[in-house]
Amino acid sequence: MKRPPFLDGIRGKLILIFVLIKVVPLLLLAWFAWHAAQSLGDDVSDKAGGMADATLETIQSIGKTVTDDSIRALDLRSREAIEALTTDTARKIADFLYDRDADILQASHVEPSEGAYRRFLSERKRALFQHGTWRLAEDEKSWEPEKEHAEEALVTRPILPDNAKDFHARPPEYLGEKSMRPLFVEMTYVDLDGNEKIKVTTGDLTQKSLKNVVDRNNTFIRAETYFAELKKLKPGEIYVSDVIGAYVPTDVIGPYLPSALEKAGKPFHPEQSAYAGTENPVGRHFRGIVRWATPVVANGRITGYVTLALDHDHIRQFSDRLMPTEDRYTPIADAIKGNYAFLWDYKSRSISHPRDYMIVGYDPATGHPATPWMDTELYAEWQASGKPSHEFLATVPPFRDQKLARKPAKELIKAGTLGLDCRYLNFSPQCDGWNAVTEHGGSGSFVIFFSGLWKLTTAAAIPYHTGQYGATPQGFGFVTIGANVDDFHKAATETATKINRLIALKDLEFKAQRQDLLDGIEHSLTTTAVGLWTSTLLMIAVVIGIAIWMANLLTGRITSMIGGIRKFREGRLDHRLEVTSRDEMGELTRSFNAMADSVEESFKRLDEAREKAEQASHAKSAFLATVSHELRTPLNGILGFSELLKSDLTDPSHQEYARIIQQSGEHLLNLVSEILDLTKIEAGEMTYNRIDVDLRSFLDETSAVYRSAAEAKGLPLRLILDDALPTTLHTDPTRLRQILNNLLSNAIKFTIAGEIELKAFPVDDMVAFAVRDTGPGIAPEFHETVFEKFKQLEHFLTREHGGTGLGLSLVRQLAENMGGRVTLDSTPGTGATFTVFLPVEQAHE
Amino acid sequence: MNDCLALVVDDHPTNRILATALLAKLGWTASEAETGEQALALAATRPFRFVLLDISMPGASGEDIYPELRACLGTGARIVAYTAHAFPEERQRFLSAGFDDILVKPISRQQLQEVLPA
Repeated sequence: MKRPPFLDGIRGKLILIFVLIKVVPLLLLAWFAWHAAQSLGDDVSDKAGGMADATLETIQSIGKTVTDDSIRALDLRSREAIEALTTDTARKIADFLYDRDADILQASHVEPSEGAYRRFLSERKRALFQHGTWRLAEDEKSWEPEKEHAEEALVTRPILPDNAKDFHARPPEYLGEKSMRPLFVEMTYVDLDGNEKIKVTTGDLTQKSLKNVVDRNNTFIRAETYFAELKKLKPGEIYVSDVIGAYVPTDVIGPYLPSALEKAGKPFHPEQSAYAGTENPVGRHFRGIVRWATPVVANGRITGYVTLALDHDHIRQFSDRLMPTEDRYTPIADAIKGNYAFLWDYKSRSISHPRDYMIVGYDPATGHPATPWMDTELYAEWQASGKPSHEFLATVPPFRDQKLARKPAKELIKAGTLGLDCRYLNFSPQCDGWNAVTEHGGSGSFVIFFSGLWKLTTAAAIPYHTGQYGATPQGFGFVTIGANVDDFHKAATETATKINRLIALKDLEFKAQRQDLLDGIEHSLTTTAVGLWTSTLLMIAVVIGIAIWMANLLTGRITSMIGGIRKFREGRLDHRLEVTSRDEMGELTRSFNAMADSVEESFKRLDEAREKAEQASHAKSAFLATVSHELRTPLNGILGFSELLKSDLTDPSHQEYARIIQQSGEHLLNLVSEILDLTKIEAGEMTYNRIDVDLRSFLDETSAVYRSAAEAKGLPLRLILDDALPTTLHTDPTRLRQILNNLLSNAIKFTIAGEIELKAFPVDDMVAFAVRDTGPGIAPEFHETVFEKFKQLEHFLTREHGGTGLGLSLVRQLAENMGGRVTLDSTPGTGATFTVFLPVEQAHE
Repeated sequence: MNDCLALVVDDHPTNRILATALLAKLGWTASEAETGEQALALAATRPFRFVLLDISMPGASGEDIYPELRACLGTGARIVAYTAHAFPEERQRFLSAGFDDILVKPISRQQLQEVLPA
């Protein structure tokens, strides 16, 4: 990985290290702090939110529990209240009926006469409450009373403080317009053959003419068959009939309004259709009777029977005015709202209903029961049977598989015969339920979803057991009250609504508070973050600044030290660093200065030594030069004049003397030269002036010098140059010549016959110069010693040969000094070969 | 005979006599000077074509007077160092100084003949 250039320097590295060890932890610290603050914020937010949610949830849960409990409590209370109302009503009805027992027994003691009977009837009246005139509303969508009855509770005295809490006053209970009506519509005296002997009527419900009641056609709407029953009565025993009345059909179910009639395709005649409370307040009323009868005894003998036909309206009063709501009573029933009371007889037939068309009645034409309402299945069965309904139904088990899933027969709705005979009202399972709770004389309730409403429905047996009604514990029949459950707990649901509204408000409040809290936390976090990061960045900037400053401080001193060292290295040995501190850098500076001192001292000593050596060397050279000069100077005279003498003298013996002097001088000169050369070499004073030497011409010249001398001795001198010989050789030609001269002169000197050969050839990176002679050769044991100084003297007639004894020694010294060597190859008797090897490329000194 | 006028400069009489004798054998007439100063004085008087000039002399050395001598005799004259300084570095020094050749003592007739002007 390539390093950025600024890291090459210590300064960059120092800054980087500072940044690493300071900035990174700083950033980490800041990050941790920020993270902690944030998680704290998140935590607080979560907890706050959770707390708010939990509180809200608790409130909601409490609200729901309270509401549910309230609803439950209210429902229970309502149920109890309505159940109580139901049983109370049943009791009242029973009491009322028992009073009629008393009436009939009293009637049996009345002398059978029209006047007495009329008096009897007129003494027995009871209040009936009925609503005023109602009319169709202008929009024809409902019926409305002509006169609204509104009465407020009147309290005219100050309410005492002690009574003020929950002080509640109601106006007088309003059941409607009160009118006194005779209890009975008819009072008859029937003889033992069934002939009505006396008949007094009130109103015109019943016929006024006297008939024989054995024939039912002569009875009320041809439906009474009581005479057979009368015959069974013993004195004091009472006969009580069923509720008997003509069935009143309707044109429609529900509100009798022009639109409904139009829909049903029937003319709008509300007066001709059955009365139905608020649904049809102007309709035709069901009118019925219940006949009481008991024997009239005279002288211990039954002489006839007295009967009293109770106006059924008086029984209906017990249920029709009831309102199972806080209103308690109503002048007009409202079936739609689901709050009303019914009465059912001992056969579970409707005998009182807000809708008169639902009261079971008889067909006045036949005296047989009108066809009741049936479900589709039963209706189909009836249709299939081909029998009159009352005959068909007599074959059907009562309460057969009653359930809400069944559908009412539409044909009967169309026919308008909708009497409720619970035994066959199979789409109304509550019929079964009512019987379940009342058939043993008890009471009870249940809740059922019917006609689109959850209804509490109660039932209580009417404990009246006279006559036929004594056959079952159910007695006269039962009272049922239907109540809209929602109305019971309206208060609770209103409270719940209030609670929910409060909760919603509280929720909003909580949310606002939480938002405020969250905003606060957010703001706090932001502030923390800004502060944290600002201070961190500031600290980082400061740290980086300090890092750069310290790096500069450190590296500045190092740089100045490096500058000083560079100056020192460049030769300013007297340069010293300024000591500015006592720390490690100062110590380093002092150490450097101390080192510089010793280096300078060493250099000084070295210089002095070199100077001395140079001086010594110079002196040596000068000495050698002087020696050479001083030795040569006298030789000049000796050699020069001996040569002159030799030519000038005529006497041969004198000439010989002169020649000897010259020869001796020359020998001396050679000796001087070679001694000086060796001395120079050994003193290291010998200098080599190397140039590129043209080997061929050089060797030609050199051999030519000796060829004449060799040929003078009858020796051919052959020069052999190898083809691979380099053209030039970088060497000192003077010294090479000196070497070859020595070898060639030796060869010529020691060879008597034969030949001399100079051969040059390359060997590896050397050039070899081999001088071969055919002289006596040199024994192997002397191969080394011949190269030693003056060794020749021992074995050769040096004088004879004119050698100095230093030649070969000089040859070897020169060859070795020039980076080469010299070898000897010789067999005594056959000659010798001296080979000098010189390097082709000599290291430049 | 001006063509064969030579000047031998040497403080040693032996060397002067030998050189003069050898030059005479070779057909040259030599004047002799014992010092550099004498040599310069003589050179101013005669047109020497050949000078044997010793190097080591008391007073002015051969090398010292060479430039003046050359200036005096011109480039036509052949000035040869006549010296016992035989080391190559010394030879090189003389040649560099301008000497036409060097005749190293001891000399022979042959050697002298070789350095004479053609």
